[in-house]
Amino acid sequence: MELVQKEHDRLLKRLKASHGIKNVDATIDLLQSARDTIASDPNQAAITLAKLQNPVKSSFDSINDNLKETHSGLNKYTKSLDKLFKDRPLPTTEHDALSQQENLINRAIAMHLLREGQFSVAATFLAEIADQKAMDNPDSTPLSPKPATSLLDIDEVPSSEIRKQFASMYYILHEMKEKKNLLPAIEWSRENREALEARGSNLEFELSRLQFVWLFHGESHAQDVRNWQAAVSYAQREFQAFMPRYLPEVQQLMGAMAFCPNLQGSPYSTIFNNPSAWDDVAQFFTREFCSLLGLSADSPLYVAATAGAIALPTLLKLQTIMKAKRTEWTSENELPVEIPLPPSYLFHSIFVCPVSKEQATDENPPMMMPCGHVIAEESLHRLSKSNRFKCPYCPNESHPKDARKIFL
Amino acid sequence: MAAELTSTKLNAESHLILDQPLLRLPHELARRNFKAVQRVVEREKEYVLPALKEAANASLSNTHTPDQTLAALDAMISRMQGLKRKMESLQEEERRIQTQSRKRIQHLEALHNIPSLADVKYDQWSRVRLDRLLVDHMLRSGFSESAKQLAEEQDIEGLVDLGVFTQCQRIVESLRRGDTKEALQWCGENKAALKKSNHNLEFELRLQQYIELVRTQDRSKKLEAILHARKYLTPNHESQNSEVMRAAGLLVFSQDTRAEPYKLLFSQDRWKILSELFIKTHHELLSLPSQPLLHIALSAGLSALKTPLCHSAYTSSSSNSQSTSTSVCPICSTELNDLARKMPYAHHSKSYVEGDAIVLPNGRVYGKARLLEISKNLGAVEAGKVKDPTTGEVFDESEMKKVYIL
Repeated sequence: MELVQKEHDRLLKRLKASHGIKNVDATIDLLQSARDTIASDPNQAAITLAKLQNPVKSSFDSINDNLKETHSGLNKYTKSLDKLFKDRPLPTTEHDALSQQENLINRAIAMHLLREGQFSVAATFLAEIADQKAMDNPDSTPLSPKPATSLLDIDEVPSSEIRKQFASMYYILHEMKEKKNLLPAIEWSRENREALEARGSNLEFELSRLQFVWLFHGESHAQDVRNWQAAVSYAQREFQAFMPRYLPEVQQLMGAMAFCPNLQGSPYSTIFNNPSAWDDVAQFFTREFCSLLGLSADSPLYVAATAGAIALPTLLKLQTIMKAKRTEWTSENELPVEIPLPPSYLFHSIFVCPVSKEQATDENPPMMMPCGHVIAEESLHRLSKSNRFKCPYCPNESHPKDARKIFL
Repeated sequence: MAAELTSTKLNAESHLILDQPLLRLPHELARRNFKAVQRVVEREKEYVLPALKEAANASLSNTHTPDQTLAALDAMISRMQGLKRKMESLQEEERRIQTQSRKRIQHLEALHNIPSLADVKYDQWSRVRLDRLLVDHMLRSGFSESAKQLAEEQDIEGLVDLGVFTQCQRIVESLRRGDTKEALQWCGENKAALKKSNHNLEFELRLQQYIELVRTQDRSKKLEAILHARKYLTPNHESQNSEVMRAAGLLVFSQDTRAEPYKLLFSQDRWKILSELFIKTHHELLSLPSQPLLHIALSAGLSALKTPLCHSAYTSSSSNSQSTSTSVCPICSTELNDLARKMPYAHHSKSYVEGDAIVLPNGRVYGKARLLEISKNLGAVEAGKVKDPTTGEVFDESEMKKVYIL
């Protein structure tokens, strides 16, 4: 990279110092003055023109020299680029599995744009897809690479319903972040109380607590009795609903009131002066909102593309090795190499059978023996041959029918 | 192949695989621009020097009147002024390209200053990259307006190549409409490069023009077709012999023929094939990858993330939309689930479960601390009971059983 930068610096410098045009100017001047001389005294024509030959030629030569220099600069820059990307050509998959699924990709992109709040781009994008579809549809040519029918499904998911949902999510977030207005969020969490409770989510309480804190501080963080009253009357009105479950937290908030003028020095100051409280709540809200829609909190497209960029160097290396050894990929369902990703990219628990070293699947699920050790079902059958057998990891003996399927 | 399960190491140099076109494309444009400069200089040189010599000789031998000499000089001056104008505009273009390259190098350089994949800066950088990939995909799919809008909103116009792709798209659309003019003009501009790498795009375009002339079945048009073929097709008879023969044969068929290969030649699908050939040639010439970068990134990423659980018939305990305190896995999320269905899943050589795993009587495995925390948050669960966040079943805390996953 440094080399690339250096060569490019040189290119830029050369570009600035380039006197190609100056040489052209000089040539024009030469010609012009010769013309003037001849115009004023036609007798000088022969000698002036004869004298003109060499200077003009040499200025063309210096233009060309200049070009040659630029050329060599460009070449050096090419070489530095080649060197930077030498061992890393872009992967050339003969069959691009994804190009068959253009519509699914476009759907994922549309959802990504919506969830990132880029509604106008999303609208343009969907409109352009519809246009293209309309253009492709009338002539249902058999040679067309993508069957027109598969494009039709795109409307299914980023339907107006999802769009509406995300629009309301952005409205709520906007109110929350820009105007410190929690009420739309609280209202939403109240409407979805049942679903949220089923998830064990305390979003509604978190929002209400922040609302209480916000009321208490008032607009300007001024210690004002009216703020205090507003907060307490909010608590009286709203906290009833949280009573059995969030009793300790409510007690904390009320207890804090006793310290009122001097909250800073009280044990409760962290609750009232948490600088990241708004961001935390916004993030929490986004996650819950997306989860209720069955969607992950971070854009899957972002996560997948980033994971892809992280995985590519390893996969490319693998491709070269496999090409060199002329081996084929033995298992089509599984990548042949482990790709280390940052911990935040692990979403599921993973079970690898300690006996067969295979990952558990629906067909070969993890089975727990009575001793609590887990091996894959196939390993269980292989080891036991349907008789009592000893656990490979402890002295315990058991019958395979006592093993139980577990879910990770 | 035992590798560590997770890593946040960032090797910037090898991380830049997807970003090659970012530097290659402007460089390719710069080279072309340079060649254009070279060409105009050469052309003027070849005019002015001989003209000057001739004028000198003529005035020596007195065959020119002074007026003629002056006129010759004037012509030279105006040629040189034309050269200056052309060079100025090309230099302007070069400056634009190189400033853009500069910015792109800086953008890539920024990655080298990011310590690890877990850094917030990496997140930001990667988001910009995703936007670049999206714009690239949109441009390649012909959604120019979306691409433009996205680039503007995200302020990454310097990092994407709207101009190049928009031009490409315009020509593709003209071909789909059945118009060869713009494509041929493009071939003319890139004659040298096309010749060097043996592309037959121009031949195919000329052949199409010929086909269109024959299609009319009009006598004079057919004559024109023959002349056209003589001029443009037969010079290629060495490399494209069978095509030239076929073109000749075409003369005796009409467009409703069922005889192959003439039926195929008359087919309207050829326009589609031509437009694809054009895209292929165009991308090759500018050293652009043939498939969208987004596809490359996604197919690697989907596999790296995918686990057998993502398309399992059973709801996963470790990541699902019903339970809080876990985030939904991106592959399980509706956006990508179908897309990832046919992809291979990631290879793992070691189990990875939450610390202090326990199993409930229904066979579901959770981290003990997390399960207790969730149950505490669920108002409806009595003390001493735990609720399975996936199935909603309630068990006694004593029913949690330690599970050993090696």
